[in-house]
Amino acid sequence: MEDFSYQKPKTVDDAREAYSASADGLFLAGGQTILPVMKLGLAAPSAVIDLGGIEGLRAILVTDSVVSIGAMATHATVAASGDVRQAIPALSDLAGMIGDPQVRTRGTIGGSIANNDPAADYPAAVLALNATITTDKRQIAADDFFVAMFETALEEGEIITNVEFPVADAAAYAKFANPASRFALAGVFVARTGNSVRVAVTGAGTCVFRVADMEAALAKDFSATALDGITVATENLNTDIHASAEYRGHLIGVMAKRAVEAAQTKGGGK
Amino acid sequence: MTDVHIGDAVRRVEDQRFLTGQGNYIDDINMAGQARAAVLRSPHGHARINGIDTSRAEALDGVLLVITGRQWLAFGMGTLPTKTGVRKGRNDTDINEPPRHCMAIDTARYLGEPVAFVVAETQVIANNALELIDVDFEPLEAVSDAVKALAPGAPRLWDDIPNNLCIDFELGDLEGTEKAFAEADHVITLDLENNRVTAVPIETRGCVGSYDAATETYTLYNATQNVHANRDMFAENVLGIDKQKLHHVAPDVGGGFGAKNSAYPEPPMVLYAAKKLGRPVKWINTRSDSFLGDTHGRGQTSRVQIAINNDGTFLALRTETVGGIGAYCWTIGPFTPTGGSARTQGGPYTFPAMYYRGRAVFTNTAPMDPYRGAGRPEATFQTERIIEYACRKLGLDPVETRRKNLMPPEALPYMSPMGMDIDCGDFPLLFERTLEMAAPDTFAARADRATKAGRLFGFAIAPYLECTGGAPKEYAGVQFKEDGAVTLAVGSHSTGMGHETVLPQLLAARLGIDFDRIQFTQADTDATPIGGGHGGSRGMEVGGNAVAQAADEIIVKATPLAAHLLQSDAAKVTFADGSFSDATSGASVSMTEVIEASMDQEPGFLDTGATFERGVISIPNGCHAATVEVDPDTGAIQITGYWVMDDFGTVINPLLADGQVMGGIVQGIGQALTENIIYDDSGQLITGSLMDYGLPRADVVPNMVIDYYEGAPTKKNPLGVKGAGEAGCVGALPAVVNAVLDALKGHGVVHMDMPLTPEKVWRAIRDKGAHDPEALMRDAC
Amino acid sequence: MPKISLTVNNKPVTQDVEGRTLLVELIREGLGLTGTHIGCDTSQCGACVVHVNGQPVKSCTMLAVQADGAEVLTVEGVSPDSGLNPIQQALHEHHGLQCGFCTPGMVMTATALLKNNPDPSEADVRHGLEGNLCRCTGYQNIVEAIMAAAKTMRS
Repeated sequence: MEDFSYQKPKTVDDAREAYSASADGLFLAGGQTILPVMKLGLAAPSAVIDLGGIEGLRAILVTDSVVSIGAMATHATVAASGDVRQAIPALSDLAGMIGDPQVRTRGTIGGSIANNDPAADYPAAVLALNATITTDKRQIAADDFFVAMFETALEEGEIITNVEFPVADAAAYAKFANPASRFALAGVFVARTGNSVRVAVTGAGTCVFRVADMEAALAKDFSATALDGITVATENLNTDIHASAEYRGHLIGVMAKRAVEAAQTKGGGK
Repeated sequence: MTDVHIGDAVRRVEDQRFLTGQGNYIDDINMAGQARAAVLRSPHGHARINGIDTSRAEALDGVLLVITGRQWLAFGMGTLPTKTGVRKGRNDTDINEPPRHCMAIDTARYLGEPVAFVVAETQVIANNALELIDVDFEPLEAVSDAVKALAPGAPRLWDDIPNNLCIDFELGDLEGTEKAFAEADHVITLDLENNRVTAVPIETRGCVGSYDAATETYTLYNATQNVHANRDMFAENVLGIDKQKLHHVAPDVGGGFGAKNSAYPEPPMVLYAAKKLGRPVKWINTRSDSFLGDTHGRGQTSRVQIAINNDGTFLALRTETVGGIGAYCWTIGPFTPTGGSARTQGGPYTFPAMYYRGRAVFTNTAPMDPYRGAGRPEATFQTERIIEYACRKLGLDPVETRRKNLMPPEALPYMSPMGMDIDCGDFPLLFERTLEMAAPDTFAARADRATKAGRLFGFAIAPYLECTGGAPKEYAGVQFKEDGAVTLAVGSHSTGMGHETVLPQLLAARLGIDFDRIQFTQADTDATPIGGGHGGSRGMEVGGNAVAQAADEIIVKATPLAAHLLQSDAAKVTFADGSFSDATSGASVSMTEVIEASMDQEPGFLDTGATFERGVISIPNGCHAATVEVDPDTGAIQITGYWVMDDFGTVINPLLADGQVMGGIVQGIGQALTENIIYDDSGQLITGSLMDYGLPRADVVPNMVIDYYEGAPTKKNPLGVKGAGEAGCVGALPAVVNAVLDALKGHGVVHMDMPLTPEKVWRAIRDKGAHDPEALMRDAC
Repeated sequence: MPKISLTVNNKPVTQDVEGRTLLVELIREGLGLTGTHIGCDTSQCGACVVHVNGQPVKSCTMLAVQADGAEVLTVEGVSPDSGLNPIQQALHEHHGLQCGFCTPGMVMTATALLKNNPDPSEADVRHGLEGNLCRCTGYQNIVEAIMAAAKTMRS
């Protein structure tokens, strides 16, 4: 790994300034993706600005209608939060499925969605629950946030401060994991709020995406059988040694049904 | 009286240091003034090296030495020879053995082949220097698949070796087999793949070398499984020095499974650099480079044919295998797809005729060398798959058909058509006991429960026949110290199997002395005159018998002294349970007392070095059974039960035997379900990290129920042991694969190649089992 | 070069480190605590697991500077003054280790697992070991040992 200057600012403003002042700066959240990337020499920033010293970015606040998770809240914290589990159990479940216990100790929601790995779990929850991403500059709707593989609506130097998830009436996440890496080969997050249903898919395409046909069918009839016959076009799905686009397309259907079934039985919040 | 016995589950003494972080592995060794090394590896599967410019690397501050292949050759360094036992092919042809240098000279023939070697003050500098070496590579057409490599017009790895053929080997009775095929009611044919995998010991390889100018002696600490044999090759073949001038030591080694057996290229380069620079040099491999340069295993494509009658009687077995061995003949690389896979063909069944042909083929891939079982898992898989497949094709019951053809105990001893001296065992008994453990009477209910949960239940039983291997000779040295300590040095080598416990257990039990007093040494060329290291499940069979022999010699030496202490006559004194006694007088004296007396009279008198030599290899055997549930919607497989009966002869320490079996099974499960080394056509490795190469984790493996049959200790060695290290891996592949195929029988699925990935299972169900049984070897048979 | 202060196994440590120095490098090379191992370069194997402020982390995937002010616990710091702790003892009794290379990471992961869940099911234990690879044991005896240790520690 190439060496770099390391800074640990105490405020978001200081972090932004440190970033602006650096030639080739990089924000460090939990580091569970970027540090392995740097170790392999695939990224070599001149400055690393650690967001871990900023007060308040780890807070988790739950009201009747919103679960607000600080950008630096770790997956382990979210998975273990009784408040989150009571409000949106699917979100707790998802956080507990990310990586492994050690990754969950360090990895953060802000880091995960800012990175927007096509096989990461959190983007599915953010998109399906129609979350709002708050940054140091603005609020971004989930539908506008995830742009393309490893690409988001974040501008240069913009810092996520928290993610607000509206509490859904029923939600669940079903993940089929890559047996080697344990990333999602296909993960489907289904959320129903009133008569509105959102279905978000991760792992299968180049970027998390919604499935309009499934959403429409589930809005009419929130049951697994409502998804019978609905297929996902496979031309934009990933093919690699672990799974073909065709298989991923099939898995989306299976996982969507399983998510709906889980949401019906145990996916309701308070 | 001793505190341990043969058969006790003695807890391991080495655990204390491993559990507290006090193990001493290769990367924990640092020598004063050491420099660090890094290896530049070929980024191409096949490329001509038109030139290498090292000037920028050499100019980097802190770089001490850069060596290229041309320079290495100019230093007069020799090549690493193969030690394969199979050197003659069909029609008396000789093996083709191209020169294997430690570095590519003019052509790189596999991805990851060393191209240059750098030594620097720090690892960071050494790594940075690699990026400053300018190599003018001219990529050449590559061939990574062994069947394709044999085809006319395939790219050649070696100009003077036609068809990339290393050796074309045969064993068995071709005429008898063909006759049986002509007469049988049915001949069933199946092509199958035994996927290429790699061992992935959690500790990567590495070494630290130094040179003492005063004595002109090198010292090499090396994460190897084989200090003596590799010392000889490094010293005599490569460096051109007397082997006495190289002291080779393995510290604690973090797993091996065969992948640390071989004579690898890096240690001689480290030794050369240590002498040249006059300071110790340390090299530790990365995991990424381990995938490229560590030896791989399995990787065979085969056509298996069985001649079988309507009533299920087996008449003959014929197997033709093509195995890609990489670009060179590695240490025993050509042996595995030839002799190694031939021997246990046919398993514990009566096959009146058998024939095996195995071709070892050069490919632009990492080298092939032993991986746990090295041929026996392949043979067992071939045998058990064709039996299962034939049963399905002919509507025969797989359990009943196997039962019918198992060799009965009264048929033993039996010389198999493959030359295996099967001396003892009770294959039907082990089969029935395994079946009993799996409780077939519960299957209907279990299948029912699975169906209700939307899953498919499957079961398979897989008897196996094993054989030991590795170096036939072993040494055990025992010395008695004035302070009561006993030292035991053995030339076999544990890389986790627990020799530090079980060999002292054996000595203590045999002599009736305190287990705690025994200090154990292994894997040090100064500690034992010879040593066969690790490999071929030889630890107890050869190492254990060397210890037993040393103990017996000590008893003989001690008897006159005991007689003297008993004021008796040596002829009247007998030894049992740790004591010498005179039956006439009723007097007795313990071995410990005799040892103490020997210290007063003639210290060292009882010290003993014994060399045991195996006559004929042993035949471990047993039976595996597995149940699985398959999710037809996703293709996911869950192994829900696993049972094993093993006949390892005498079991010295059942706790350690269990550990060997469990670990072996899970490596087999890994190969069957998730592990796969995939090269593309240009020789690039597609599964070169743990992100893509699927090692089994705790949440995907079943609990295993293991039991032993000790009713047939072999007479081939005094301890009656048969070898335990590889058996788990041997039985697991067919047990898992056949159980999955059993689950899918309702969908018409008759065959799938490993690994049984969820997508493969899903596709097989979707395609209703459509399958061409002669797809893989059509061009090679 | 940043200077960091932390405690390692309850002993205060002050060290100069480079920004890029990984926590595992500080532990192994800087402090000579070689019980923490490196088995891969992609954060998969778990041989390097230590605790930072009581929680398990892969020390190959954390910068040393990020541990400034933290309490770090390694395998060298978990044993009582003499003998083994209940998890180590159970691994010994149940033959939950062979080559020993993954063992320190297993000990540290198991310690955290039982702290967070003193009465785990077998499935909890197997799931909790998702980040630790063992190539020798087939996991069964490790799982049994952790279950047994949990029982001992509860009583």
